[in-house]
Amino acid sequence: MNQWYLSHEILIQGTFISLLLALSIQVPLRAGVFSFAGIGSYAIGAYTAAILTIREQVAPVVAIGAGVLIAAAAGYLLALLVARLSGLYLGMATIAFSLFLGVLATNGGDLTGGATGLFGALSTLTTAHVITITVLVLVALAASERGSFGRRVDAVREDPQLAVSMGIDVNRVRRRVFVISGALGACAGGMNTLLRTTVSPETVGFHLVVTALTMIIVGGALSWAGAAIGAVIFTWLPSVLQFVGEWQLLVYGIVVAIAAVYVPNGLLGLLQEGWRRLRRRGRRLPAGGASVAAAPVAEDPEEKLAALGGPTAEARS
Amino acid sequence: MLQIDDLHVRYATAEAVRGVSASATPGRITLVLGANGAGKSSTLRAAAGLVTPHAGRVTLEGRDVTGLAPHKIVRHGMVLVPEGRRVFAPLSVEENLVLGGYTATREKSAEVLAQVYEMFPILGQRRAGAAGLLSGGEQQMLAFGRALMSSPRVIMLDEPSMGLAPTMVESVLGAVRGMADAGIAVLLVEQNAEMGLEIADEVVAMARGEVVFSGPAEQARSNASVLLAFLGEAALVE
Repeated sequence: MNQWYLSHEILIQGTFISLLLALSIQVPLRAGVFSFAGIGSYAIGAYTAAILTIREQVAPVVAIGAGVLIAAAAGYLLALLVARLSGLYLGMATIAFSLFLGVLATNGGDLTGGATGLFGALSTLTTAHVITITVLVLVALAASERGSFGRRVDAVREDPQLAVSMGIDVNRVRRRVFVISGALGACAGGMNTLLRTTVSPETVGFHLVVTALTMIIVGGALSWAGAAIGAVIFTWLPSVLQFVGEWQLLVYGIVVAIAAVYVPNGLLGLLQEGWRRLRRRGRRLPAGGASVAAAPVAEDPEEKLAALGGPTAEARS
Repeated sequence: MLQIDDLHVRYATAEAVRGVSASATPGRITLVLGANGAGKSSTLRAAAGLVTPHAGRVTLEGRDVTGLAPHKIVRHGMVLVPEGRRVFAPLSVEENLVLGGYTATREKSAEVLAQVYEMFPILGQRRAGAAGLLSGGEQQMLAFGRALMSSPRVIMLDEPSMGLAPTMVESVLGAVRGMADAGIAVLLVEQNAEMGLEIADEVVAMARGEVVFSGPAEQARSNASVLLAFLGEAALVE
């Protein structure tokens, strides 16, 4: 076990960091916001951690924390800026934000090390730290999917206009997910830089958009668990697929295409559906089970009418 | 009470509402009648803050709420039930209702939830089921219940009977009357003039963005020429 752990430590670290990155895209999606700002935040976190560690020799928690705060603030400002956008246009604007940060890194002179980037960001950050932080984040996100905030986020995704006419401040919910997304992305970027001791414009580039989106599409977009499934698969797939050599990318593409077309809710959706069916079969619901699965239109209108007689009579009196 | 004065709503190319005035008082139903495109929904949406009026005033219990953000208007005690029986389909019935009480305190919310279940027992029976699986009429009841969860003093209903079977329309309008009888000021938009007039206290008839008749419902019922001229024969044919 220990031997296995040592020889796979890089992949284990990569899994948790990719997971945080994927979550930075998944959290906005929960609120119906198609934003890639998390990728730009990854760059902010990565460079902030490198600069502070190399120049000021601060502790890793300070180096990463500073990046998280800066990216959260940037997320807030970006949310104000793109408040009127939605859908594809919002996605485009946030990709532009992320690419812009890449350009900034390349042209940042001594501060960012230009195209070659920064080296020698040595720190005491360990794999155990990364796992602990990620688990804490997961617990917080899992909690946020339940309860009042979770319901509000669901409402904003399902029907923003209806949500706002019920008293939910849709823009505030959106600003919040941008802030959380920024913090998550920066945390991933900062930790990755300190583990690898180096960062360059290439490592915070467009490929991260593809990586994160792939994980969410295949894993499932509506819960942290989907992002976790995706992160595990796409971090470990390359080592599993070594035997196909240069065909790896093709296999990738096929997997994503199949998932997007046939499994719109991701592997998590498949698992949940399977679990529901198992439970239903176990309970052996008479008739009711079938009608729950059927479309609402297929229900018997007569029965509904009869059932509604009660409330109205009461409402009138 | 709700007072709308000389409201104008302008979209990019057209003026949808031109100087509309209307009011809703506690315990009474003000019916807004008019054909498709008469500006009824735009009036409601502007009053609720979903679109910013170009001119005019919306006052709620003496407080000017014109152009306020929609979620703030809900906090001032007025809620809109938009057309099309919109519910959060994947959420359960109870989750939909609890979301409606988002602006209230937890204790208040629990209290009102019990009242809503009392008013609409069917919602209580289905509280754990997904809202999307309810029938059309049940979804409309859920939309009403959800609006009531914010303990509104003014409620605006945009075509609650649209697309429902005739018997169901009667149940839904019965529920509307019930809300008014509970002391809420109701502003009801209906295309079904015949049904709407049965429960209305006041009537505002609109055509092409303007008010063409405003007065007590009895007067509107007898004012055949107004109805005929602006709502078409269908409104009169029994």
